[in-house]
Amino acid sequence: MTSRSLVWLFLIGVLVFLYAPLVPPVLLAMQDPATGTMNFTSFGAIAGDQMLMGALLNSVILAIIVGIAAPLLGLAAAQAVRAFGIPRLIITVILLPLFIPGASMGVSTSLFFKLTAIPPSLFTMAVVQILWALPFAFLIILTVMSGFDTIYLEAAYTCGSNRLQAFWDIELPQIAPGISGAAIFSIILSFNETVRTAIVQGGNNTVQTFVWSRYQQVGLTPNMYALMSLIIAVTLLLILALVVLGRRGQAATTANEG
Amino acid sequence: MSFAIKRRDAGTIALLGGPVLICAVAIIAPLVLTLMVSFWERQMIGMKPGFTLASYALFFEGARFTVLQRSFWVAASATIIMLAIAYLVAYLATFKLSPQRTRIFLFLLSVPFLVNYVIRTFAWAYLLGRTGPINGFLQLIGLTGAPVDWLLFSDFSVYLGLIAAYMPFMVYPIWLSLSAIDRRLIEASWMLGEPPLGTFLRVVLPLSLPGVSAAAIFGFVGSFGEVAVSQILGGVGYQLMGNAITSSLDVLNYPMAAAMSSVVVGCMLLMLTLWLRFFDLRLFLGKMLGR
Repeated sequence: MTSRSLVWLFLIGVLVFLYAPLVPPVLLAMQDPATGTMNFTSFGAIAGDQMLMGALLNSVILAIIVGIAAPLLGLAAAQAVRAFGIPRLIITVILLPLFIPGASMGVSTSLFFKLTAIPPSLFTMAVVQILWALPFAFLIILTVMSGFDTIYLEAAYTCGSNRLQAFWDIELPQIAPGISGAAIFSIILSFNETVRTAIVQGGNNTVQTFVWSRYQQVGLTPNMYALMSLIIAVTLLLILALVVLGRRGQAATTANEG
Repeated sequence: MSFAIKRRDAGTIALLGGPVLICAVAIIAPLVLTLMVSFWERQMIGMKPGFTLASYALFFEGARFTVLQRSFWVAASATIIMLAIAYLVAYLATFKLSPQRTRIFLFLLSVPFLVNYVIRTFAWAYLLGRTGPINGFLQLIGLTGAPVDWLLFSDFSVYLGLIAAYMPFMVYPIWLSLSAIDRRLIEASWMLGEPPLGTFLRVVLPLSLPGVSAAAIFGFVGSFGEVAVSQILGGVGYQLMGNAITSSLDVLNYPMAAAMSSVVVGCMLLMLTLWLRFFDLRLFLGKMLGR
């Protein structure tokens, strides 16, 4: 075997390892545990679950809040890194949640809310998810900003624009892809977060904590596997939409240039 | 960076400093509060302010300390295994594939990562089970007569779950620093007579260390505080620190949960300090930190 085919074999093996877990939920959702026959009843059953529909709504609301708040806070922090003379301090503090295990962060924030008498709600869940998504959003925006030469800002100041104009007209168009990338990443992190959210959720549920608490209370049923299949399908569709949007954006840029 | 960019006025300070300050308080205040609570007294329900080392004493003498030791060992060894795999993947993707194919490969790598890892871990529990497809396949090809037991609810399955959950994410920082290496440096090393292995050890590896250390910290933090993988794939009684903390919280023993959490956070801060000492942030974040 040539070294070239070995490389391919290894990389394809890694992909198979990562994609394998996406298949079983669909099979387990369709299989009747008692008889082993295949049917689709479990998919119909979850649509009638009121608690689950509430959890789904919560997931969507949280994804929107986190998808807006995390990139904006990340942008402010990234700008502060450049504007204030204390870059190391700001970076270390904002990246801190990356270095703290989910359970610790969850316990700390839940104790904080308990002692400040803030009851568990969508707000507390949003705070926990924003703190988790913020370091990623911040890093993405910081990376894009590092590719932007500040000499353009100086040119804008020289031409008489104020700071806000210079940011809005010159820098923002350049770093916009980083901000939308940070927003998408934040939405995905919010949608996938289980451990931290589960600690501060109180009586509320997201789709993910719903599956998790059912697993802990009664174990997994075909209905839960059906829900997991749908979560996988939705995630894959979102990614597909992103790819299509990205392609369109690319095509538009090429057309403008051509 | 010129003075003009660093110019500070009241508007800028309020607009940028405000949100940053709120974030800083939201991140740091809960951690400080947790440290305080860890010294409080436990009541039948809830807790009472005070100063006692009871929670720490109970933590360090009891079975929970074994959990801490196991978490350290599992996280450290899993991180080394994951680093080896992630480095090989990142290296091959950077140097052995065409740029077009590297992009496609990294995209394909990120797709399963975006699917919730708890769900993927449930799927692994099925794949590795006694009646699962992997045992079925092993029996079909005659490698084993009876289902293999150690595939699930064992150290093996926990490591496998951790690798599936955190390894793909570790490829990206390593790939970032590998792809940033100036290829002319590698060519220069060849031309000066260094063999491929020497070139790798003395040029490529040192230049990729910032990415490697970032990846190592991601992997270690994830595995150390793991809750889901250990519970789903470790089986009854298998605990890592994350499980110990959440189960203390479940029985409303807040000072104990706070004490364990503070010890974990303390370890992390120690590692972070060491990392910051060995690797200048500038290596990692480039010119953002300025000249």
